[in-house]
Amino acid sequence: MFKNYLITAWRNIIKNGVFSAINIFGLSIALMSCILIMLFVKEEMGFDKWLKDNDRLVRMHTAYTMPDRAPFLTVRSAGRMMEAIRDYAKNEIETGVRLIQWSLTVRKDDNAFDEAITLADGSFFDVFDLPFVHGSRATSFNQPMNLLVTEEFAKKYFGRTDVIGETLTVCCVGRNPPSDVRITGVLKDLPDETHLNINMLFYLQPALFPPNNNILDTWTSVNVYTYFKLNAGITPMQLQERIDYWMNNESPLVEMSKDLLGEQSNGMQVTDFARQPVMKVTDLHLNAKKHAGNIGDITPMGDQEMINTFTVVAFLVLMIACINFMNLSTAKASKRAKEVAMRKVLGASRLQVAIQFLSEAIVIVFVALLFAIAASELVLPIYNDILGKQLALRLFNEPDLLLSLIVVATVVGIGAGIYPAIYLSRFLPGHILKSSKSGESGNSAKLRSVLVVFQFTTSIVLVIATLVVYGQTLYSNSVDVGYQSDNKLVLNVRPARENLPSLKQELLNIPEITSVTFSSEAPTQDNENNNQFTLLGTGEDGKKVEPALLNYHNMDYGFFEAYKVQPIAGRLFDENYGSDQMTSVESDTIEPGQASVILNESALTKLGFSSAEEVIGRTLLLGEQQLNVIGVIPDIHFRSIKFGIRASAYMLNSDRFQVANLTVNSELLNSDKSAEIISKIEQVWKTNVPLQPINLQFLSEMMQAQYQDELTTAQLFLAFSVLAIIIACLGLYGLSAFTVERRTKEIGIRKVMGASVKDIVKLLIWQFSKPVALANIIAWPIAAYAMLTWLESFPYRIDQVWLIPICLSVGTLSLFIAWFTVGTNAAKVARKNPISSLRYE
Amino acid sequence: MLKLHNLSRVYQTDDVETMALNNVNIEIAQGEFVAIMGPSGCGKSTLLNTIGMLDTPSSGEYWFNGEDVSGYSEAQLAVIRKQSIGFIFQNFNLIDELTVAENIELALLYHDIPASERKQRVSTVMDKVGIAHRAKHMPSQLSGGQQQRVAVARAVVGDQKMILADEPTGNLDSGHGQEVMEMLQALNDEGTTIVMVTHSPAHADYAKRTINLFDGHVVTESVKAA
Ligand SMILES: Nc1ncnc2c1ncn2[C@@H]1O[C@H](COP(=O)(O)OP(=O)(O)OP(=O)(O)O)[C@@H](O)[C@H]1O
Ligand SMILES: [Mg+2]
Repeated sequence: MFKNYLITAWRNIIKNGVFSAINIFGLSIALMSCILIMLFVKEEMGFDKWLKDNDRLVRMHTAYTMPDRAPFLTVRSAGRMMEAIRDYAKNEIETGVRLIQWSLTVRKDDNAFDEAITLADGSFFDVFDLPFVHGSRATSFNQPMNLLVTEEFAKKYFGRTDVIGETLTVCCVGRNPPSDVRITGVLKDLPDETHLNINMLFYLQPALFPPNNNILDTWTSVNVYTYFKLNAGITPMQLQERIDYWMNNESPLVEMSKDLLGEQSNGMQVTDFARQPVMKVTDLHLNAKKHAGNIGDITPMGDQEMINTFTVVAFLVLMIACINFMNLSTAKASKRAKEVAMRKVLGASRLQVAIQFLSEAIVIVFVALLFAIAASELVLPIYNDILGKQLALRLFNEPDLLLSLIVVATVVGIGAGIYPAIYLSRFLPGHILKSSKSGESGNSAKLRSVLVVFQFTTSIVLVIATLVVYGQTLYSNSVDVGYQSDNKLVLNVRPARENLPSLKQELLNIPEITSVTFSSEAPTQDNENNNQFTLLGTGEDGKKVEPALLNYHNMDYGFFEAYKVQPIAGRLFDENYGSDQMTSVESDTIEPGQASVILNESALTKLGFSSAEEVIGRTLLLGEQQLNVIGVIPDIHFRSIKFGIRASAYMLNSDRFQVANLTVNSELLNSDKSAEIISKIEQVWKTNVPLQPINLQFLSEMMQAQYQDELTTAQLFLAFSVLAIIIACLGLYGLSAFTVERRTKEIGIRKVMGASVKDIVKLLIWQFSKPVALANIIAWPIAAYAMLTWLESFPYRIDQVWLIPICLSVGTLSLFIAWFTVGTNAAKVARKNPISSLRYE
Repeated sequence: MLKLHNLSRVYQTDDVETMALNNVNIEIAQGEFVAIMGPSGCGKSTLLNTIGMLDTPSSGEYWFNGEDVSGYSEAQLAVIRKQSIGFIFQNFNLIDELTVAENIELALLYHDIPASERKQRVSTVMDKVGIAHRAKHMPSQLSGGQQQRVAVARAVVGDQKMILADEPTGNLDSGHGQEVMEMLQALNDEGTTIVMVTHSPAHADYAKRTINLFDGHVVTESVKAA
């Protein structure tokens, strides 16, 4: 019986060529989108699920929400927290570990490489039970300064993995001079799906750090990553409650907050301004972003919202394809009414007829699934390229993936087939055979229109949303940042701290380089340095001004000139004054240091000044330093504009310099010559800073990179929306073909009455324009509302007015597409000799 | 009014060539009532369709109101057709989805006539053929005779000078057939040219002239004595 269903189904699919082709093509595209999105979502959601006991692993984050200060959120925590909480919450916590993420230089022969290292407490393997390739945790990770590397790392340096006993020269662990360290074990490479960033893993030696250091020996400086392993049966919530209790009642923060906040702390609990939220390790990849406002993970973080959005898109695209199936099946029903009637006369029950139609739908979906799998394989390389991932469709190695595809296909088949099956199996044989009527009821035609409206509404909302996202991304990228970023190279000079002057001189000797200026950060980089600046004397209004928390940077003479930033009042740093530079204050003097500071406009406002001129010459106190305000510059977007503008102070402290900003004369950087310039710079680097890797970047690329994630999302979103529209149009094409066929006689009569080809095409186009136009009217407000809400989260956003042309052009385009789709069908019939149309019954 | 000169129509199918009309020469004057008769398959419908410009001749000339329209384009023919020619078919060819009034209005829809005037003319003509009380009905709710009356109304509502009727009574019982013939007679009395294909000698009798076709040729023409 089942076989009979399949055979009949297959024959019907073959017989209804166009109909089947449209359905299979549409469903293939939809399923392909689904597979691609599923692969992505599955990988993103599968992060760290491979870790042993992953349901018991949590990480503790930090959130400072002091009154009158911008909240400070980070996924790190303070160095002393781990042990204190672990020992306090014995019932909840089995063990804990701190990780310190650093970068250092590894030398091998004449080469030097920057490497990310991890320093971890000895309990590391009690929390993360990573497998060894060579060695074991008992023998390889049992005393301070033991070093484990991954297979990949071993191969990079030694070309093999059994490297136990080999030494590497590193610079520098802690405050130590360059030293040789011995590799004591080799770890299996970690899967891609992890938030951990482990290449070199050191057994942490606390003695490396001086007392009172701000890494391990601190309650408030957040420089370590803290993980706990919970006792079996304990939920993260339970631990959270315990930690909150400790924070409010037992922790040193209780006293510290009283000292720090004074009056303000009255009636408040510690957790009102300092929290240590815990998050499951398996949630980190997608959700840590929420806790990472200021400092996040080293590995790129995922985004739960993006995952949700893409899941919805996949679902909608599938729906649109299913609707095609429903619409085409019921439209075609008239042609199959007789077949159904005959089957029933011959004794088939309604259920049997329904099952027959359902199996037809399922067969079609499975054929489409095969095409979709093939298409996914073809598209995957491009997809991976865009996403920067290594996704692969390994159906036979991952039975759960295969199974879920089969489930999706079956659900889609049933979803698409159930209505046509019920509808078609309802036909009464007597009625149909006698009257030779089609059995088409007005209701099913109406339902089809409703579904077409739904398809187009969905597609139009998707496309409008996509365009807004895309527009916003492009806009973010094009906002005037307030400085000239062209033709800039950024050179990391941290390893060259001792010989900055000679490095600068030799770089300037390269003819193509027109300026070299140092700074603590280049644009796009941010170190989250904030400090309290106190205005001496009274403010503009004669009243005392509260100390202001300002973001600060340090830059050399010539920095603002190189970036073409003009002061709006006062002057920029100038060597000729000789008073701008900050020098460290000797601890045994009581004389305050004297130096200069430049403010941006926001800082001016924050200090309560309305006129830039007024603040010039005033003094700000920063620790032991008295800073003379010498200039005010406009608000420049030092970081990506999505972070908005911060009130900032710019000082000149050469101890803080980390990067050199090189300006290259413009004609050269865009040409092939850039390679030549870079090699000249590398040459200078090699002679001045031997045995240190060079780290040189184009500023334009750094700026581009800030928007890359958003751009990728926007591009993918666009691709899937376009697919949705294509599928919807395919459906419209099929539907119009059937309608035209059904209305052939009517068209003939109209032509006899004098209608021209144009009149007929217009008539049909109008019929199909109505649902598309209606879809636009429904879609516009939905899309506009959604996107205006979305845009609100951006400090700099495209004008709302843009929604109007976007909606209108999407609307026009959707109508044009509909017209084109329908028009080709309509023109064909309209051109036919009316007599042949009239003969057609 | 119209004149066919050595007019032929050849149907080319895959392997057979059918000469549906073979060197036909006919002249029809304004206000005539002509019946076309002949055995099944002799080319009557083809002739009528050619006269009605629904079909184009393979060779020969077709003069309509002094113009040779045999080389006219589809669009040009559509213009002449809607201004001058009304059609009545054996199977009525009403549009099932439109009401009686809307079906009649269809013949005016493709002229530049304001909606109010269209309404006016439709109701006048409905009165004339006696189906005004059925204006809002769908064709499927009418008897065959009533449907054909709607078709007649549709054929004349645009003040067409000529009505072509292909076996207008073929699907009707004799009573209803009689009614339709009387309606055509009345139209002819008002000056409308009528060309009608029929198998019934009795109905052919209403015509002033009968053309007999056989195998695509005009065999005889007989004029009724006044
Ligand atoms: N579209 C066509 N293609 C091929 N042959 C056709 C076509 N239309 C008509 N014919 C042939 O042309 C000849 C004339 O057909 P026509 O319909 O004019 O006959 P008729 O006299 O109206 O017959 P009836 O009295 O049965 O209506 C017939 O042999 C018919 O088979
Ligand atoms: Mg005929």
